[in-house]
Amino acid sequence: MQSYFKFILFGNFIVTLYHIFRLNMKKRNTSNSYFGIWSIMTVALAVFIGLSIYEPVTICGIELRTISMVDKLTKTPEPTPEEVAEAKRIEEEVKKKAEMPKYDLSTPQTFLFIGDSMLEGLYPRLAAYAKENGHKLYVVIWWGSTSEKWGNSDKLKKYVEKYQPTYVFICLGANELFVKDIKEKRKDYVTNMISQIGDRPYLWIGPPNWKPDTGINELIDENTPEGYFFLTNGMTFDRKKDGAHPTQKSSELWMDSVLRWMKKDGANPIINMEVPQEQTARATRVEVLYPNSK
Amino acid sequence: MELLSPEVWNNIVELLSYQKDAPMLFSSGLFWVIFLLFIPIYATLKNRRWQMITFVVAFSLYFYYKSSGFFFLLLIGTSLLDWILSHIIIKLHSRFTRKLCVTISIICSIGILCYFKYANFFLWNWNQMIEWNFQPLDVILPVGISFYTFQSISYIVDVYKGRVSPTKTWLEYLFFLSFFPALVAGPIVRADYFLPQVRQNNRATRNDIYFGFWLILLGIVKKAIIADYIAQYNDLIFANPTGYTGFESLMGVIGYTMQIYCDFSGYSDMAIGIALIMGFKLSKNFDFPYKSKNLTEFWRRWHISLSSWLRDYIYIPLGGNRKGTFRTYINNFLTMLIGGLWHGADWKFVFWGAMHGVGLAIHKAFRPLLDKIPNTWLVKAISWSITMIVVSLLWVFFRADSWQDSLLIIQNIFIDFRPDYIPVFTSVRYIWIAMMAVIIISHSLPQRWYDAMANWFVKSPWIAKLAIFVVVIQLVIQFMSEEVTPFIYFQF
Repeated sequence: MQSYFKFILFGNFIVTLYHIFRLNMKKRNTSNSYFGIWSIMTVALAVFIGLSIYEPVTICGIELRTISMVDKLTKTPEPTPEEVAEAKRIEEEVKKKAEMPKYDLSTPQTFLFIGDSMLEGLYPRLAAYAKENGHKLYVVIWWGSTSEKWGNSDKLKKYVEKYQPTYVFICLGANELFVKDIKEKRKDYVTNMISQIGDRPYLWIGPPNWKPDTGINELIDENTPEGYFFLTNGMTFDRKKDGAHPTQKSSELWMDSVLRWMKKDGANPIINMEVPQEQTARATRVEVLYPNSK
Repeated sequence: MELLSPEVWNNIVELLSYQKDAPMLFSSGLFWVIFLLFIPIYATLKNRRWQMITFVVAFSLYFYYKSSGFFFLLLIGTSLLDWILSHIIIKLHSRFTRKLCVTISIICSIGILCYFKYANFFLWNWNQMIEWNFQPLDVILPVGISFYTFQSISYIVDVYKGRVSPTKTWLEYLFFLSFFPALVAGPIVRADYFLPQVRQNNRATRNDIYFGFWLILLGIVKKAIIADYIAQYNDLIFANPTGYTGFESLMGVIGYTMQIYCDFSGYSDMAIGIALIMGFKLSKNFDFPYKSKNLTEFWRRWHISLSSWLRDYIYIPLGGNRKGTFRTYINNFLTMLIGGLWHGADWKFVFWGAMHGVGLAIHKAFRPLLDKIPNTWLVKAISWSITMIVVSLLWVFFRADSWQDSLLIIQNIFIDFRPDYIPVFTSVRYIWIAMMAVIIISHSLPQRWYDAMANWFVKSPWIAKLAIFVVVIQLVIQFMSEEVTPFIYFQF
């Protein structure tokens, strides 16, 4: 339908273009300059519609982006409230099925904790829980990472293969609080990340907002099943000097909150997760990736 | 057949209907597609004055509906009241009743503006004083209300003072008040300048049309390419004042200084260009403000339509400089305070305006002394630097979310400058730096260069204009989805 529509539109513009050239040559010396400016705009529109139809054009290694006018005109309309209600009902049913326990979480676990620089504050506390309760903890901190960086690579899959975790923790999103149109742009990266985890339980810890975000929390929430996403936004933190990262003490309280929530409302509560005696501990292994890691 | 499919028509209707979060701006593609339909009809009707006026009023009201929904009815109501009162004013002889009519009109205009723009601000402050819980009113601010309110006031005052005669018909006045190129973001059009043009209905010359087109292109480059791109980095700095080094904060401050200029003057250029294509001349709104060597000069070059409005309808009625030195300073200060509040319902705007008022008063006070200093290039450079520092620092208060954020950003520049970040910054933010360089260089060019470029463009062949237009629009599309992401210190 879209390509048919584009073809008709483009065909019309090609014909118009021909007439414009002819007429413009004739009217060149008349006082009607409105025709000149109108024809410039019309031809330009035809060019952009033409560019949006065919394969992306690359000039000097830069791919030309195209307008979305035709897509906007031919998009499927928003669902009606009834359709939304029906879809929600089906989704609830699927979620209920998903909530059925399917992982053995009563035995000692191997945790893999990946994410951005927020992990520096969080993982020592999770390590204390792991030590106290006989679990292993592998940590991968990718400084400055985003869902785009993780979702654009197969790093998560490789770490999953390397450490064979039975439970994956993710804390990601702080570096993309202000990305415009994030829900459209980064949905694929989030779903790709989740697919790299495979059939393992996981928990995504949301970013500790210090300003309202442009949709990262909604994006994660919408693409994870019920009980797989801990919404951090709304919690109060003592922050480091940078105004973004919670202090060590505050991060530890944050981790406590996450695990309390997991026990009560999480989809996959780990059975042995008693509050540790020690405040922090060392993880089994910590790997650090720099912002420009490919 | 599929062209007529309900889906396509539904989408067209949806696109053309009012959408709260998608006002029709000159930088949007939708506006230009609609403008493509507008031009041929306008060109056909231009010689038939009444048909042209009716068509432009209908288009302007639609334009306003697309931006503010059914608030276009408010615009119609305001214009009707003004027009009736303006006719009553010229028919009456009693000074008291004439003044009463002016007062009614101003109270209505200001009252509507205050309700929509300042009601929550006043209520919030009142509740802070009496320590009650504040429940904000569910008020939506109609787009451009501040601009057309000022136009409405100037019209009624000018009619009262005899500077302008009222329009014969309400439709002409509605044409003036709702004129879409200047409706949502100015320039503030003055009746004495604009109404004679409506009466004469001069046809736009070929030069006017292509010069207007040139201004539009210039405006698109400033607003949709440069301002929108550099804004992304500046937003990161202002969203997290302590998350960056002092050097990055300084770049954010300079960036915002340039962003607000490109954004606003770019939009003004587009508005003036569109009006010129239609055969109407709007006055210049920006005249290289960052070339100013003192604050007085800055306000003569920045948002000229607003500063001249404030001068004529606030500063001079307050007494201007006719009531002694001290009163001149006070009048200056009060005018700028009101000018600050006009920008938005927040104390930060009041503070910004007040500080400009203080700066203007200080400059006036020291003027006799400054005039004695020889005007060498060194003195000029120092004057320019001081002016730019003051203007840029005050923009921080204008932009930041809170008073505390403003202080944190400024403090950060002084106590955590970290010059070691300069090489990293230049390697990562090279597009941002390139854009800033373009603005700074283009801002420094003399006016005659612009005139030469505009003349060349006007006289250039059709195909050259088309090529330039296509390149500019492609750049807009290219940079529209170009993202600036947080980096460096924030992501340690």
